Amino acid sequence: MMAAERNPVSCYLDERTFRLCCQLFLQHSETIKDGWSWEQIKGTDEGFMKKTLLIPVKSSVLHEQPESSVQDEDMVTDNIQANVEDETAGVQAVCEIHAVLRYEYHVLYSFSYQIPVLYFRASALDGQPLSLEEVWRNVHLNYRQRLQQGPWDTLTQQEHPLLGQPFFMLHPCRTEEFMKPALDLAQAENKRVNYIVTWLSVVGPVIRLDVPLSYSTEVSAPD
Amino acid sequence: MSDNAESPTETQKDDPSIQHAATEQTGASDEKKKIDVLLKAVGDAPIMKTKKWSVERGRTVQSLAQFISRFLKLEASEQLFIYVNQSFAPSPDQEVGVLFECFGSDGKLVLHYCKSQAWG
Repeated sequence: MMAAERNPVSCYLDERTFRLCCQLFLQHSETIKDGWSWEQIKGTDEGFMKKTLLIPVKSSVLHEQPESSVQDEDMVTDNIQANVEDETAGVQAVCEIHAVLRYEYHVLYSFSYQIPVLYFRASALDGQPLSLEEVWRNVHLNYRQRLQQGPWDTLTQQEHPLLGQPFFMLHPCRTEEFMKPALDLAQAENKRVNYIVTWLSVVGPVIRLDVPLSYSTEVSAPD
Repeated sequence: MSDNAESPTETQKDDPSIQHAATEQTGASDEKKKIDVLLKAVGDAPIMKTKKWSVERGRTVQSLAQFISRFLKLEASEQLFIYVNQSFAPSPDQEVGVLFECFGSDGKLVLHYCKSQAWG
């Protein structure tokens, strides 16, 4: 569909392409047992991709603690212990992971923005939903500083457009800023990308959803 | 904002795991622990004066992103995005050594980077 000449690459996605990208994405998820599924809304032809994750977190995420800016935190991921350097006090505190959170991610198509949007909800294992503040504390450190610059238009509580339940959402209004470079790069190499793979690889990790590297090579763009 | 990055700040001296890639061959033991990374700017991201770096395999994408952000003197409100294989953003927790194994060619890992004003 893209001409060999330098036409401006559209950062928008039509719904049909969204579905095709999701289909290809889901095929690979099946192959590597990455846990994604397609949820169709009964009686409609609308649906979304869904995945649930259990995420171990440090105790500081769940309890009221002053935010300390971390200079060079070794990555926690699945480690049992994390060393966090408190810049202000100069004290090294060892935070043990003693809690697991349940994150449920939904990839929806937004007709108004003409791009995908990431919705999610989070709760403790006992079902107690996380507050917006608690969710913010679990935003990946790589993004947290800048998110704090303008949190009101980034991570918001929204009613899920298809389920009508309260969810959190990563606001899509700046999608173009990180999609355009990737799409331009691919076009320069005469490659086509799977929009969902590229998009999710950027937005997912913000809220602890990692996309395995194999998606990058194994999932093709729709015809 | 100029297109050419200034010289590295003190952070580079504090950061022995990220160094200028030597033009000569380094010692064999050094070479195994570090991989060569070539950083390419995309869009209107500032171009780094030094594009080629030797990075310890265990270094994470986040750590490299922090390094680049400081090197380029990005503001707190600016987010750096890093892409591998042109159009895929590796997880910030991903080790560069793993990326090198998957996407390295000609002895180096090419990473593209761009910056965004504000998230959301």
